Amino acid sequence: MTIQTKLPEFKTDEMVINLGPQHPATHGVLRLILTLDGEVVKHTEPVLGHLHRAQEWQGQNRTWFQYQALIDRVDYLSGMFTSWALSRAAEVIDGTEVPRRAEFLRVLCAELNRISSHLLWLGTYLIDLGALYGFPFYPFIEREKILTFFEEISGQRMMYNYIRIGGVQRDPKAEWFKKVEEFTKDFPKRVDEWEAIVTENPIFLNRTKGIGVLTKEVAQAYGVTGPTLRASGIDFDLRRFKPYSVYPELKFDVPVYNKDGDTWDRYMARIQEMRQSIEIIKQVLDMIPEGEIMSKKQNAGLRIKAGEGFAAVESPRGILGCYITSNGSDKPYRFRWRNPSFSNLSVLPPLLEERPISDIMAIFGSLDIILPDVDR
Amino acid sequence: MFNLIGSAINGVKHALGGLYQVKRGLETVAMHTWREPTTEAYPDKAPELPPHFRGRLALTVNPETGENLCISCRQCERVCPDKCIEITANKSTETNKLELIDFKIDHGLCMFCGLCTEVCPTYCIINTNDFEMADYTRSSLIYDLKKLTLTQEESAYYFAAKEMPLPKPKPAKPAAPAAGAAAAKPAAEAKPTATVSPKPAPESAKAPETTADKPAKEVEKKESPSTDTPSVN
Repeated sequence: MTIQTKLPEFKTDEMVINLGPQHPATHGVLRLILTLDGEVVKHTEPVLGHLHRAQEWQGQNRTWFQYQALIDRVDYLSGMFTSWALSRAAEVIDGTEVPRRAEFLRVLCAELNRISSHLLWLGTYLIDLGALYGFPFYPFIEREKILTFFEEISGQRMMYNYIRIGGVQRDPKAEWFKKVEEFTKDFPKRVDEWEAIVTENPIFLNRTKGIGVLTKEVAQAYGVTGPTLRASGIDFDLRRFKPYSVYPELKFDVPVYNKDGDTWDRYMARIQEMRQSIEIIKQVLDMIPEGEIMSKKQNAGLRIKAGEGFAAVESPRGILGCYITSNGSDKPYRFRWRNPSFSNLSVLPPLLEERPISDIMAIFGSLDIILPDVDR
Repeated sequence: MFNLIGSAINGVKHALGGLYQVKRGLETVAMHTWREPTTEAYPDKAPELPPHFRGRLALTVNPETGENLCISCRQCERVCPDKCIEITANKSTETNKLELIDFKIDHGLCMFCGLCTEVCPTYCIINTNDFEMADYTRSSLIYDLKKLTLTQEESAYYFAAKEMPLPKPKPAKPAAPAAGAAAAKPAAEAKPTATVSPKPAPESAKAPETTADKPAKEVEKKESPSTDTPSVN
């Protein structure tokens, strides 16, 4: 009896706790300062900079040739795209014509890389939601195949340094294209399998449906891009909105969801994107012409004309832009990167407001952020 | 009353639908049981690596004669973003040529970007397929000339696997002032030197083959000066 009478007078206070920087589910070193009222998140403050490596400054202190090798480390899950953005920006300044075969090879490798990046996301996202029983390794089997392709043409599994200013580094052999073709035939079946396990699973639906709803207005206000934006119903894909390379010649759909996107929509957007990437790869394998792959000498004296240029590519996480000022020497004068993860992370506090703790990782994981990309 | 029945039916439907989806998932998982394993028994079985794999750095020797191919041009030292290469060379007074004394690579600093292998004019420094370099101290990761240099068999393997053109025979050098004036620029094709040097017959037959079937490599090779450029000039 006494307990019942005392309960209404019981005063609760808000509690501040740290999530991270050493937390297995933050995929890097992100620190979130959470203000909690019981189990409900009242306020979130992401603390950045734990992985700041001064990528822009390093670029200004290295030659063009050296910096190309370094830039894959910014977004280590999709290194092709950072190389591509850098190369395109430099080509804009220099007016370099990229050989047609090189453009096709770039698209081919970039789309393969998009799939591999989404596959890693799929596996780790399920771990974040608590599915530790073995499903996360199914996507990794396919990812391993893609990494083997990259290992064969570039020499490494993650730090490719394959897309260079003026073309690509190495011409793959005919057997390599055959292997990729076999992979494209096999891959859609695997996606069906994963969807059979995950998409309609009641536990997965409970954890994701209606959780972390990102409205169009909020998404636009925070500058969110990529599949996260398209899941919120805004049709904005740089490959179609402002086509670059040989994308205008390729036929593909961009999955867009016509409502406010929740966590499940973001999951579906990525699954559909993988299917579309496979369609693009199939077309590229048919259309790829013979010819040169490099139009600029790749040596220590690689120079770009004086001038300024900006170029952006659609990376798996969103729009990745690179702005360069060159003064004509062998070192770039100024670099500026526009990284998608930074904008996508900034939308996390409004999404977490008034949500219970158990939803934090479900929402955070669905944004597909990579921390070195945030901090550079 | 109707509400209660309706919600009960909905609940049953929901449960059955959920069960069906779980069954679908479990079936798929069960099917995976009968597949071939995709894992590799790594320490017992060495993984198959592609020839262009960027592993530990090493210096090749001429597969035929066994002499070191480094000409101490220091291009790798200059291009290295991490500054992990240190070359010690001495200019000999007799031949007026650089003689390699020591070649140090700090593999603790190296990030395996492979830029040094791209700029090397003689295909001397290469990335090998070796990646097992774990050691107890940092100082033991600094490899010296003796530790870096490959054997003749290893060099022959990498020259074939990476499709690099075989080095031209060395004896062309002393003979160059005599033959160089007559043959001028096309002398680089090793045909005129074949008459002078004693053993280039098998090599000159091999060299054009390897360069012909790899056009991409040729593009890269164009910028690199030939081994014997000083003598031709």
